[in-house]
Amino acid sequence: MAKSDPEFLARLDRESREAEKRFIGNIAHRLGRPAAGPAPVHPYRGAPDFWASYELGTEEKIGRFMDNWRAAGGYPERIASMSGVPEVIARIAKERQARSTIRQNLPELASLQLESVLPELSHHAWNGRDHEGSLNICEQADVGIVLADHAAAYTGTIVVASSADKGRSVSLLPNVLIAVIPAERMYTRLGEAMSRVASIPAERFPAGVHFISGPSRSSDIENDLTIGVHGPGAAYALIVG
Amino acid sequence: MSKPQGSNVKERARTALQDEFLIDAVKFTTERLKNGKKAATAEHGNWEEWRERGRQIRAHTVAHLDYYLSRFIENARAQGVHVHFAPEGKDAARIAMDIAKHRGAKSVVKSKSMVSEEVHINEAFEQIGIESIESDLGEYIIQLANEPPSHIIIPAIHKNRRQIAELLSKEAGETLPPETQVLAGFARRKLRDKFLEADIGLTGCNFGIAETGTVVIFENEGNARMVSTVPKIQITLMGMERLIPTWDDLEVMATLLPRSATGQKMTMYMSGITGPKRTEDGDGPEEMHVIIVDNGRSLQLGDPDFQELLNCIRCGACLNACPVYRHIGGHSYPGTYSGPIGAVLTPALNKNAEEWHDIANASSLCGACYEACPVKIPLHDMLVYLRNRKVERGVTAPGEKMAMRGFKMLMGSHAWFERAVKAGQLGQKLLVRGGVIKSRIGPLGGWTAYRHIPALPKKSFREQWTKVTAEAENSFKPMTDEMKSRMEKIVQSRAKGGH
Amino acid sequence: MKVSLFITCISDALFPPIGEAMSQLLARYGVRLDFPKVQTCCGQPAFNSGYWDEAKASAKTILEAFDDSDFVIAPSGSCTGMIHHYYPKLFEHDAALLEKSRRLQEKTYEFTQFLVQVLGVTDVGAYFPHKVTYHPSCHGTRLLGIKDELMELMSHVEGMEYVPLPYAEDCCGFGGTFAVKMSEISGAMVEEKSQHVLETEAEVLVGLDMGCLLNIGGNLKFQGKPVRVMHLAELLYEGVRNREQTAGV
Repeated sequence: MAKSDPEFLARLDRESREAEKRFIGNIAHRLGRPAAGPAPVHPYRGAPDFWASYELGTEEKIGRFMDNWRAAGGYPERIASMSGVPEVIARIAKERQARSTIRQNLPELASLQLESVLPELSHHAWNGRDHEGSLNICEQADVGIVLADHAAAYTGTIVVASSADKGRSVSLLPNVLIAVIPAERMYTRLGEAMSRVASIPAERFPAGVHFISGPSRSSDIENDLTIGVHGPGAAYALIVG
Repeated sequence: MSKPQGSNVKERARTALQDEFLIDAVKFTTERLKNGKKAATAEHGNWEEWRERGRQIRAHTVAHLDYYLSRFIENARAQGVHVHFAPEGKDAARIAMDIAKHRGAKSVVKSKSMVSEEVHINEAFEQIGIESIESDLGEYIIQLANEPPSHIIIPAIHKNRRQIAELLSKEAGETLPPETQVLAGFARRKLRDKFLEADIGLTGCNFGIAETGTVVIFENEGNARMVSTVPKIQITLMGMERLIPTWDDLEVMATLLPRSATGQKMTMYMSGITGPKRTEDGDGPEEMHVIIVDNGRSLQLGDPDFQELLNCIRCGACLNACPVYRHIGGHSYPGTYSGPIGAVLTPALNKNAEEWHDIANASSLCGACYEACPVKIPLHDMLVYLRNRKVERGVTAPGEKMAMRGFKMLMGSHAWFERAVKAGQLGQKLLVRGGVIKSRIGPLGGWTAYRHIPALPKKSFREQWTKVTAEAENSFKPMTDEMKSRMEKIVQSRAKGGH
Repeated sequence: MKVSLFITCISDALFPPIGEAMSQLLARYGVRLDFPKVQTCCGQPAFNSGYWDEAKASAKTILEAFDDSDFVIAPSGSCTGMIHHYYPKLFEHDAALLEKSRRLQEKTYEFTQFLVQVLGVTDVGAYFPHKVTYHPSCHGTRLLGIKDELMELMSHVEGMEYVPLPYAEDCCGFGGTFAVKMSEISGAMVEEKSQHVLETEAEVLVGLDMGCLLNIGGNLKFQGKPVRVMHLAELLYEGVRNREQTAGV
């Protein structure tokens, strides 16, 4: 495929600005306004009022998260502190007969020192500057390890945002996903995680924000559940603390 | 714009009704989805409050679509998205082809998108020699079968595992056993290669968040994540009404959509994609295009009877609840969308055109769709409004028009009504056998093919009224004071304007 | 208090015993029903088919018939629903008729709603020693929200064995002209409904809407199945007579 062509894109954008006027104008006209209206009062924002006060205690949150993660076909585990994480990952890697891992390039994950815990495996950290290389490593890796930005107990969901050090592929391409979730990042409601995402300023807003609630699955063949269709077939959630 | 192919709804339904497997498959799966939704909404609790909030958010957004769409566009552009506008389906296909041709793209991988079905994107790519592959397992199966989806959520709902094994075996070049794990495993391997070599990833969009210009996609398989992560170019087709104002509103949609669609608390993946990859990011598309599609949607704006149609979040719950859909499957409906939402949306998007005129008749108006709808779209009312518009345009069957003229005359005055009943009582003598009518003459034919009709009694109720009221007098007991005061209170509260 | 009976065209012509049962039952609570003969049909067959002019002609007879009534009672959730839900739409462009229809709406009750909500009667003193199942009609339950009223009345019938109908909330496939226009789909739906009725092994199928009961009953007869099909008013009245006869009234 040819390289991106700035001139072509600039032409499309010019055409787009013209088309936009007609497109939005037509909508406004249909809605009985001469032009696009000003910001309306937004009276029904977000969840019903009673929901905001729904709050679980720490243990309840962790219990609920684990139940949901398990019900979705994933494997939740509780670990007292970060120092206990490496041996759990080592156990999983052995059970899954893994030969390689890829992790987000984060100090928390580097400090697990998987290289010394699992010397027989090859280990990689995501490198944003090496697009092709990182993608290939991810595609070949058996285990992807991520640190969750947030988690929501009520639905059993983790949130992973992309950045230079946090490739989207890490939680997607390997067969086994291991998500490390510091307990203090666990909220009750999905909305709590969403409002934290929304508060990131535009100039730092991540290109990909992924809410993950278990292993990849499909019920498209006779409504029969299959695990691991395109994404990871095994999803571990390690709650730390 | 697609057109109904040859036959009408009635004829297609006849074919479907005779296909025992199809009907069993559709009933089995819709039943499971329906029960899943019931369990999930009961478990969540306060469903009516959430539903009402969902309706409010969608109605508010649609009522101010000019504003929210402008915000979305502005914020998406600020993140580097190239935004395009498609007043009609063919415009969307043209823009997507332009982008593909200019870069010399050879292949496209697609995740599930109903809009893309609407604008026939696969056919468009094929025509210019670009391979376009569906990657959602169900969509992949029906693409191999060369069929359109027959359900919004479960596109291959009408196929059994043997048929699926046959289709995939052909693709594999070897015989695959009809086992779900094996079949899905084949699709995973096959499609993984396609993802890695594709130049363009094409996605749909469940919601566009105005405040950040984010495209939100719900899915279970991970294929939409693949499509939006691996290829260099991402093209997203978005129905122009898919918007919500804020991330806060997304919580409501994330509560309503998965539970209504499949009975899940959440789909396994929900991705918010805001622009192409940042310069320093290692993956994600280098170039992101969002094509905003009208294709008949704006016709509903400002129309008091149909504007709410744009509130739809495409969960498919109305299909699962619909007794008609369960009996005839999705391919009996013309157009991209099936079930109750399709019966209204297809004619509405196509300017209520005459050729779609029989689709609104394929409903008993039972209201199960409305009850199931997470944003409370009154589809059963809209079906009646569609029928009315047909009549106003003069698009009616001649026999029906005559019958209705007769109805007006007979029911317009009690004298005529009484005469007609009398005539029936006398005239039916030729048809009645053993107290019932079995004749299949004329308009009765459709009815008596499945049912007997009781004969009219010798005297109608009104003819017996004098006798009935005199006899009731024999059992008359005075009303208790309590009842009297209850009734009086009710009448008084009305006078005050209460209920 | 003027309490008027809106018999509905289908019960008027085909099922007169329902009106008789209502008159008899209500007389026992001090209600003398009034029956204005100018009434014909609520207009639903034409309205649902899209013929609103034709529907109006018919609906006007209802507006006229009950203009001076204090309460209007109908043995049908569907026809009551038509008045409540669709008259405002049907008459939206005629202020005078719209106002009339609004007044009619607030005083019109489906039969069980009137017994339970207005009179406060939940036990009519019926004895009905049969196995009974119940089909909740779509318009009555979904548009009017009738649910508890009927169950309340049924729960007080002595000697009766109530068997819940599987898939009760599924439409029977009647849908007015739908049954004729889309007869094969409608036929498949009613056959499925009959199958569910037969699975209960009930002797009696009871309901609140004669359109649906005409449909299901007609199909059961067509299949030669001896299930008795009754409107709840008939069942209650028969039960009350059973009780009165045993007591020697």
